[in-house]
Amino acid sequence: MTIHTVDQLIDNMSLAYIGPGAGFALAGTFLAVFGAIFSALTMFLFWPIRRLMRLILKRHPPRKPRFKRVVILGLDGLDHSLTTRLLDEGKLPNLAALRSQGSFHSLGSTLPPISPVAWSTFQTGVNPGKHNIFDFLSPDEKTYQPKLSSVEILSAARRRSVWPFNMTIKRPEIRMLRKSQPFWSILSKYGIFNCIIRVPITFPPEKLHGVQLSAMCVPDLRGTQGTFSQYTTRPKVGNQKTGGDVHYVQQTGNVIVGHLVGPPHPTHTDQGHLKQHFTVTFDDRDQATLAIDGAKFKLIPGEYTDWISVKFRAGWNLSIQGVCRFLLLSTQPIFDLYVTPINIDPEYPAMAIGYPPVYPIYLAKRQGPYATLGLAEDTWGLNEEVLNDEHFLQQCTDIDQERELMFFDSLDKVPTGLCVCVFDGTDRMQHMFWRYLDKEHPARPLHIPATFETAIEDLYVRMDELVGRTMAKCHDKDNVLMVLSDHGFNTFRRGIDLNRWLEENGFLVVNEELRDKDYLAGIDWTKTKAFAIGLTGIFINLRGKFSQGIVEPGIEADTIRDQIASQLGQLIDPQSGSQAIKRVYQATKVYRGPYKENAPDLIVGYASGYRVSWDAAVGRSSQQIFHDNRKAWSGDHCVDPSVVPGVLFCNHEILTESSRLLDIAPTILDLFGCPIPEYMDGKVLSVGSRQTGELIPKDDLVLAGGGVQ
Amino acid sequence: MLVTLVLWLNTISNSIAQILLAPVAWLPGWLSASLIASVTGIVMLFVFKQTSNQSALKRTRNQIKANLIALSLFKEELRVCLRVQLTLLAQAGRLLALSAVPILVMAVPMCLSLAQLSLWYQARPLACGEQAIVTVHLKPTNNEVLPEIELTPTSAVDVTMGPVRVPASNMICWKIEAISRGLHDLTFEWGEQIFTKELAISNSFLPVSRERPSSNPSSMLKYPRERPFAADSPVQSIQIEYPDRVSWTSGTKSWMAYWFFTSLIAAFVARPLLKVDF
Repeated sequence: MTIHTVDQLIDNMSLAYIGPGAGFALAGTFLAVFGAIFSALTMFLFWPIRRLMRLILKRHPPRKPRFKRVVILGLDGLDHSLTTRLLDEGKLPNLAALRSQGSFHSLGSTLPPISPVAWSTFQTGVNPGKHNIFDFLSPDEKTYQPKLSSVEILSAARRRSVWPFNMTIKRPEIRMLRKSQPFWSILSKYGIFNCIIRVPITFPPEKLHGVQLSAMCVPDLRGTQGTFSQYTTRPKVGNQKTGGDVHYVQQTGNVIVGHLVGPPHPTHTDQGHLKQHFTVTFDDRDQATLAIDGAKFKLIPGEYTDWISVKFRAGWNLSIQGVCRFLLLSTQPIFDLYVTPINIDPEYPAMAIGYPPVYPIYLAKRQGPYATLGLAEDTWGLNEEVLNDEHFLQQCTDIDQERELMFFDSLDKVPTGLCVCVFDGTDRMQHMFWRYLDKEHPARPLHIPATFETAIEDLYVRMDELVGRTMAKCHDKDNVLMVLSDHGFNTFRRGIDLNRWLEENGFLVVNEELRDKDYLAGIDWTKTKAFAIGLTGIFINLRGKFSQGIVEPGIEADTIRDQIASQLGQLIDPQSGSQAIKRVYQATKVYRGPYKENAPDLIVGYASGYRVSWDAAVGRSSQQIFHDNRKAWSGDHCVDPSVVPGVLFCNHEILTESSRLLDIAPTILDLFGCPIPEYMDGKVLSVGSRQTGELIPKDDLVLAGGGVQ
Repeated sequence: MLVTLVLWLNTISNSIAQILLAPVAWLPGWLSASLIASVTGIVMLFVFKQTSNQSALKRTRNQIKANLIALSLFKEELRVCLRVQLTLLAQAGRLLALSAVPILVMAVPMCLSLAQLSLWYQARPLACGEQAIVTVHLKPTNNEVLPEIELTPTSAVDVTMGPVRVPASNMICWKIEAISRGLHDLTFEWGEQIFTKELAISNSFLPVSRERPSSNPSSMLKYPRERPFAADSPVQSIQIEYPDRVSWTSGTKSWMAYWFFTSLIAAFVARPLLKVDF
């Protein structure tokens, strides 16, 4: 090489190379450009071939789809009566516009009208006897311990550690207990693209043609359904917080040291849970700095941090990543720090939380970290008075914003096919803020802050604005937009301790020393004929079904069911003198299908204002049947379905008189020209045309609010 | 102005390099080349972190990744894919724009560093008894006869041939032979005027200044070790044709490539520790 050539080389290379960082950035830029051009060329070349292959090889709906796209916006728990009232008062202009374009109906919910049951029926078009979901929890037949009714974790991930390597031998085996199949599986078979975002009971994610992000029952990193953490310098007290851990910490100088509790050690189970240390250093009276995993974050009292990525290391080459948010509650005189449950990091998911598995990663790359926990809004944090109303509201609205970003991205990316997105903040906020709407509620505070005086109405108005923004994106005539809820809402003033009632009526015997124990631990099974656990019903202690069952199936069991149904149906609240229960349903009579035996034997349809008591829900028997509900969790829908119908808005006329959640699945299949399977219990709703004369111009929609445009 | 600035920069870089690169003289070539590449890679990475908008870079990089994933997730929709590709191109442009500041900040130090490294690795010093050609480039004049410049032999170097005058190119050449090791000065005399050029003779590593440059900023950057000739000097530059160094890590033909790749690898390895996004 001559000096001349080397000089040129130096010239060229030193100009091109300006350090590794910038070099990588430049290389990345060119890669992205080449990637885009290459993929565009490939797409153009292969698109006609792919199209042809699809035409030849794929199954097509026997009838031509009536619409290009169907969009379903699920607003969990939007109540029909309240919506009607607010519509009449002119407070929901977008929903009013939707009603005038198409229709507005009450939507019959399921028995019981609770989210896991209702959304399972929504997606399968069958009654619970066929989809096998009857409650959030069901008792284990051997141990009587409550277990999740929709998911079963058969085995944890198995890893082998041969130092210094850790290998995953077997992935965790998680089984979906919901039976039947969602209607988008049928659409998939006919080549229709689906985008399913956060519809409850979609975990573990199932294969489909399209994309899906799972919701209800996605655990946190610890494997629970959401465990918050509180770090405090308060003196230690005995009582446990439901749904959370309290860590008593000490302040040394201006520093507090704590640790986050992560997942169980993946290779050495005897080592317990993995931990991640953090320190909080007080900068001044009102601010502090959080140092965790080599990064620092500012903590300001009353303000959530962004999602912070937390890595739990189980070896030099094995770590499990989660995301959580910190909220500094107070610094002086007591230090109080709240940490949300540690969600599975969507960018590096520890288990599949969507389909294809890259879809949650795509969303995280696109919009940043987001809540992945099934029940993302921390209602327990507020119920246990760790959070206040503002904190909880902030959490809910932040999660709604994240959801809206996902939803609107799906509307942009899926011009043809099905888009479903469920916003469940509506349900959580109504649960927690109903005491501000109900002037007679026992948990209603004497002084209500102005912000919360109309908290529920404000929520409905915010959802109306979301509907407006959605309508603007579904303006084309060949788009069907449905806004629906799985159930309505009602006040929860008084809890009924079903176990106490069963005890007083001779169906249940409690070991007095163990009366306070949770999860049916205080029950004397040798003498108990019926018991209650969960939100919905009563189980007969059947021989052959439960390990310590004493009631013979057949006549004896039927007699007990009849007795309980008739006696409980007459239950009068001594405080008000009114009937507390509308009706008691017998599962064998109301459900049809192969799984009805798994249902509680009796499903209690509470009257308005009543619900199962907190004690009975966790399998305790207290000293009295009726309890005032003084918790923040003040609204509920675990009542008779007739009390809490949901809503169905559509931008096309729905001609059928009465609509049920059960009817949505067959209706969507019909709109896409797909045959309706015979096993489906729902009927096709007659969807007419849009009232074109009343088509609201895009610009006239009320798009105000802090939503995502 | 620019000449003064480059002169000033060269003075600083020579002083720093004299200290920092001193171990190159006694370390094996592969080791010094690897160490220097690794350290500069990490230092540059750190500078990149400090001078770039890390959060914007991360966001943009994530957006690019998201769009690449979107191309596979939503491949059935031609229009959607085209829109995604357009966004991808825009984001690539944004990434480039975000890299502009660190590129500008690092360009000068990087050029100075490479010039200093080229003193050590671009050529090897003459071995004793080895011959080389020395060329003096003169300022073009209207005279057809080139001036009588003389190269005086010393105890360190002998003149074995020349001068050979090439009036068409305004240059005079000599062939010299190295006699004793060390850094020596070649002295060229023209009447009262004396011009010098550094000569490196050694069997190991020594900084090798292949040219004493003219007052041209680009040449000055390339050959930083010796003070440039003044713009009005009759001698514009003096070159010595040193032999190539043979080594794939620190040799003439590959030291720079080796340095590039080693610095990239070092930066890549250090990236998670320094938490740098690029």
